[in-house]
Amino acid sequence: MAVVLGIETSCDETAAAVVDDDFHVISSVLESSIDQHRAFGGVVPELAGRAHVATIGPVVRRALDGAGLDPHDPAIEGIAVTSGPGLIGSLLVGLSAAKGFSLAWGVPFVGVNHLEGHLFAPLLEQSGLEWPLLTLLVSGGHSLIVLQSGPGHHQVLGETIDDAAGEAYDKVARWLGLGYPGGPEIDRLARTGTPGKLKLPVSMTGSDYDFSFSGLKTAVVRATQKQSDVGLADVAASFQAAVAEQLLRKLRSALEHYEVRGIALAGGVAANSTLREGVARLADDFGVVSHLPSLAMCTDNAAMIAAAGLYRLRADGPSPLDLPATPNWQLADVS
Amino acid sequence: MNVLAIETATRACAVGVRSTSGLEVVRVVNDDRRHTEALALAMKAILGEAGLKPRDVTRVIVDRGPGLFTGLRVGIATAIAFAQGLGCELVGATSLELLARGAFDAGVRGKVVSCVDGRRGEVFVQTFQLDDEVVMLKVPRVAVPRDVVIEWATNGAPVTFTGDGVVRYFADFDAVPNGAVFDQSVPSLHAALTIGARREADVVVAPLYLREADAVANFATRQRPT
Ligand SMILES: [Zn+2]
Repeated sequence: MAVVLGIETSCDETAAAVVDDDFHVISSVLESSIDQHRAFGGVVPELAGRAHVATIGPVVRRALDGAGLDPHDPAIEGIAVTSGPGLIGSLLVGLSAAKGFSLAWGVPFVGVNHLEGHLFAPLLEQSGLEWPLLTLLVSGGHSLIVLQSGPGHHQVLGETIDDAAGEAYDKVARWLGLGYPGGPEIDRLARTGTPGKLKLPVSMTGSDYDFSFSGLKTAVVRATQKQSDVGLADVAASFQAAVAEQLLRKLRSALEHYEVRGIALAGGVAANSTLREGVARLADDFGVVSHLPSLAMCTDNAAMIAAAGLYRLRADGPSPLDLPATPNWQLADVS
Repeated sequence: MNVLAIETATRACAVGVRSTSGLEVVRVVNDDRRHTEALALAMKAILGEAGLKPRDVTRVIVDRGPGLFTGLRVGIATAIAFAQGLGCELVGATSLELLARGAFDAGVRGKVVSCVDGRRGEVFVQTFQLDDEVVMLKVPRVAVPRDVVIEWATNGAPVTFTGDGVVRYFADFDAVPNGAVFDQSVPSLHAALTIGARREADVVVAPLYLREADAVANFATRQRPT
């Protein structure tokens, strides 16, 4: 059975994983520098870059060990590494390491688009996935609706025109005096609150499937000033409902327009409970399958990069040794 | 012993190989900060030129700075992966000692100050004594070029300045009456290969930044009581 080593360092997570060509995860290792960033209320690129250099060697070693592979001559088909989008200083560490391993072992490597990696995550958790698939990819850096006709074949239907959904969570959390990252904190608080207690406008954008989240923080600030008696849990629940409503409304209109067999959630915000419930309900309404990722598969990981890399390696062949990192690589430009 | 040297601490990307037979090949690949694109390709090419395969490499030596943060990370991450992948030994050397040793190999003697361009109007500096050997006199530090110049002009002792920091602030350094300039911008690959063959291997090679991340420095300033 052929296996691929995946390496992911696009943001604050140093990750390595081994995946076989049936999309089984053999091993998956992850080190995060998130604790170093908390005090700053967001990822500090220079700190992330420094952490990657310190952890990349041990993380890859552990992934190989976990898969029972020889660290000096692993029987792998190739190395898949995230080469964009992401923080340039972080991307370069993984990419440089991938090239170093590729040279040492004499195996090919391929640069993978991080967002395409997220699209491959459902394949790692569900066998017999049926296409076409509508995927809502929401994280701290991205918010997109993607139509997939099959693995590696995707069309971006819409994306955020300003902030990502996860970014909106972080901004509101910071304003409310909650910790970073904001998603888990707000989600936890929202469970005991009542959505709608705080009156928030639902943002409307021009295009059918595009999102806009930049106005939400201001709206929360204004609304809480007007309704100063609303409790924190109710604020969290109302904000969370407003985010989910916008995402689900666009997803619904995409479902009305495109014939699909399933809906998938991907990215860090896919861990959000309101969104998960909403997507499951939407899938029921339309009689399609919902693919809700496990929490480990929501966050950035190297198994999804290995999966996408396996596909790209076989479809397009390896990348050249002089491959640069592409910090702004759009999913729409992947083919 | 077949030694491979990696140099990415300055604008240049350079590699070198010294084989068991004594053959030495050294190459400065470019001078435009494109380390990511150039390095792995250059490693492959230079090994081929020396008639070696990657598996023949028994030791890797890498410049661990101080220098350009991004360049350092590219060089060190590549070196870590390559050495770990092969299971061969890894050695680190500082850019400042490679510059001093480069001057030593060219016949410079006496006090030498290595200066690496640190951007933002600063240089990374370290003072060495070059007699029969290269001896460090002080620890590496960050300094403003003018302060280094004033310090040595006041001191009056004969001194030689070298490194890309001197190239950048040439007029300043050239004005020191008791100073000489040894023209050298890329830390010496020949010196790296020599150190790489001799020095005990490191368990962990980490970049020498000499500067905190900006956010940390700014944060510390903000937190300080006023
Ligand atoms: Zn991601």
